[in-house]
Amino acid sequence: MTAAAWICLAAPLAGALLITLLGTSISRRTAAYISTASVLGAFAAALVVFVKLWGESPEERSHASTAWEWLSAGSFHVGLRILVDPLSVMMMLIVSGVGFLIVAYSIGYMDGDDEERRYFAYMALFVFSMLLLVQAGNLLILLVGWGLVGLSSYLLIGFWHERPAAIAAAKKAFVMNAIGDATMALAFFILIQHNQSLNFPDAFHVGPGHGWLVNLVALGLLGGAVAKSAQIPLQTWLPDAMEGPTPVSALIHAATMVTAGVYLIVRTHPIFEQAPQVQELAAGLGAATLLLAGLIALVQTDIKRVIAYSTMSQIGYMFLGAGLGAYANSMFHLMTHAFFKALLFLAAGLVIHALAGEQDIRKMGGVGRAMPVTRITFLIGSLALVGIPPFAGFFSKDSIIASSLGQGWYGDILFVVALIGTFLTGLYAFRLFFLVFPGQPSPFVEEHLMRGSHSAGAEGAHGEDDASRPHGHDTHEHAGEGPFSMTAPVLVLAVLSVVGGWIQFAPVWHPVSDWLEPVAPSLTDPTNTQETVASVFALLLGLVGIAVAWMLYSSRRWAVPRWALGQRVLERKFYFDEAYDFAFYRPAVLLARGLQRYFERPVVQGSIGEVAGGMREAGLWTRRLQTGLVRTYALAIAASLVVIMVVFVAVR
Amino acid sequence: MLGPDIAWYLAVAAFLFATGTLGVLMRRSPLIVLLSLEIMLNGANLALIAFARHQGDASGQIFALAVMAVAASEVVVGLGLIVAIARKRLDLDVDKLSFLRG
Repeated sequence: MTAAAWICLAAPLAGALLITLLGTSISRRTAAYISTASVLGAFAAALVVFVKLWGESPEERSHASTAWEWLSAGSFHVGLRILVDPLSVMMMLIVSGVGFLIVAYSIGYMDGDDEERRYFAYMALFVFSMLLLVQAGNLLILLVGWGLVGLSSYLLIGFWHERPAAIAAAKKAFVMNAIGDATMALAFFILIQHNQSLNFPDAFHVGPGHGWLVNLVALGLLGGAVAKSAQIPLQTWLPDAMEGPTPVSALIHAATMVTAGVYLIVRTHPIFEQAPQVQELAAGLGAATLLLAGLIALVQTDIKRVIAYSTMSQIGYMFLGAGLGAYANSMFHLMTHAFFKALLFLAAGLVIHALAGEQDIRKMGGVGRAMPVTRITFLIGSLALVGIPPFAGFFSKDSIIASSLGQGWYGDILFVVALIGTFLTGLYAFRLFFLVFPGQPSPFVEEHLMRGSHSAGAEGAHGEDDASRPHGHDTHEHAGEGPFSMTAPVLVLAVLSVVGGWIQFAPVWHPVSDWLEPVAPSLTDPTNTQETVASVFALLLGLVGIAVAWMLYSSRRWAVPRWALGQRVLERKFYFDEAYDFAFYRPAVLLARGLQRYFERPVVQGSIGEVAGGMREAGLWTRRLQTGLVRTYALAIAASLVVIMVVFVAVR
Repeated sequence: MLGPDIAWYLAVAAFLFATGTLGVLMRRSPLIVLLSLEIMLNGANLALIAFARHQGDASGQIFALAVMAVAASEVVVGLGLIVAIARKRLDLDVDKLSFLRG
């Protein structure tokens, strides 16, 4: 069992190393196949682990395996330890399964890019890092995986390194995540000092009477989770991360990495349960994020950014659930979200691919006529996102909303916020759908899609787009919706977005909750009445959202309300970037300028300058001694000799 | 012990050395300066040998031999320089040969 888990971990790493080491001796296509095969191997191994674990009784489903002792300091030892239990297996299946589909999709999407090999090596590296994160058997290995996913995310956001925007976005993501990594590391230091162990689950038992200590640890962990999952207040990096290739957005910034924060909270739930205020804070942050992100998504004009804000909003739901102790519901939503959000991104990728890299939805419209498969799959993804039965989101999201009922006034506030979020979800998801797919093709779409095949003239007409967005794949023919390797993963994900939710229907059957029960027993157990109330409200509001979107953007019976101030606030993303700029960047620059002016220049540079000037002066004086007259030198020597002799005689 | 007292030898040595020093300091022709240097060295040699005899220790004489060898080499270099200067048709005057002024 653990052998299979090790294979699952090693396969993508081997793939990444192989591609890196073979370099240009293999073709780009071979590199793509190696990457895909290694991730598929990881998925197969994860399936084996799952089946074996399934065959055991629930109490025994936890297997740790230590490869070797990694480091030891005094009485503190950390091994390269993995833990196979229901939670990690669930994440392994999601990561490697969705990962496989997306890497396979990339074969078509990245075809013709100059640096395909590098891309596929990074993708395999990412899958390895993410698997290490979820399989880690102690917090240190988890932190290693945590850092490695941050690294691969950085590398892949900045994959098109000719674009300054991509480099800036990559740096931003890395810096924002570094804040979370730092708070996590601090939490780990406290745990090491207090518990002498980072292993699961020993590390979690802090014991009573250490209230403030547990709160600190939980806050540190929450900081890491918030940064990685792009929740308020560290959310600003995720929209910018859309500068990366679309499959990267689908895999890293929608399906897997950004949900690592939820996984962390569920994994370390004993700590959060000992610090209830921090856990409530997590729920509150999730609620705030889902609301703000839903609002911002209403005004975005970049197809990928709309979906990015929707991702933030959906992770907000997961945080809400995890903060309330509804761990199984959060993990279930994490799974369905991975399906339908990857689907939305990949379908958007098909559109972007067909439109030669264009991402502005204002130029789109009527795309559906030329791309029927994309249209229907995108519709499925949107319905799953809004939570319309029988699509996946309905089953998972409504359980989370139901969990907030019966939890006092705080839970009621969260309940209302989550319901408003549902309305916003319907509105922004179908605004996007109606603007892009139905209706008459816009002139721009007409030019790209309706000519049958891509002529040289069309490429030339959009030369400036090609220059600003150097997608290597613009050069080849893409009549219609793209090659089979791209449409097939989209179709598989569409099927999963429909049936993926049927695994668990809380009032009737709940295998996901039962599966996770040994690891993370839920604190909440909504009654059937609460489930029904939540579902009815959520469904109604979601439908109202869709209806409003239809009135505004499809039938256009209502004019889109223009409220200049609100619009500006939303387009500016609630001024978070500006606020951080004002609060952190500007003071830092001012401080640096001040130091440069009042310390660096007068003190540091000044002192060095003075010393150098003094030396120079001394040199100018001493050079006068060098007369060039031999007889002067001889006289000096003779005189010195006389002086020395006189001194000798006198001293004696 | 045969011969005059060591003080006589040292007096001659001191006279030779002083003569040479004055020559180096006062004459302007490089050739004469070199000659004066040789006189200084010989004064020193005489003192070395006198002391060696006085102490009954041969190492002073060996030192004097070494000084002669160095003096010979030094004359070769010095005369070579003087010939080179003469070939360039420069004045043979150490006060005018002051190109190395700082």
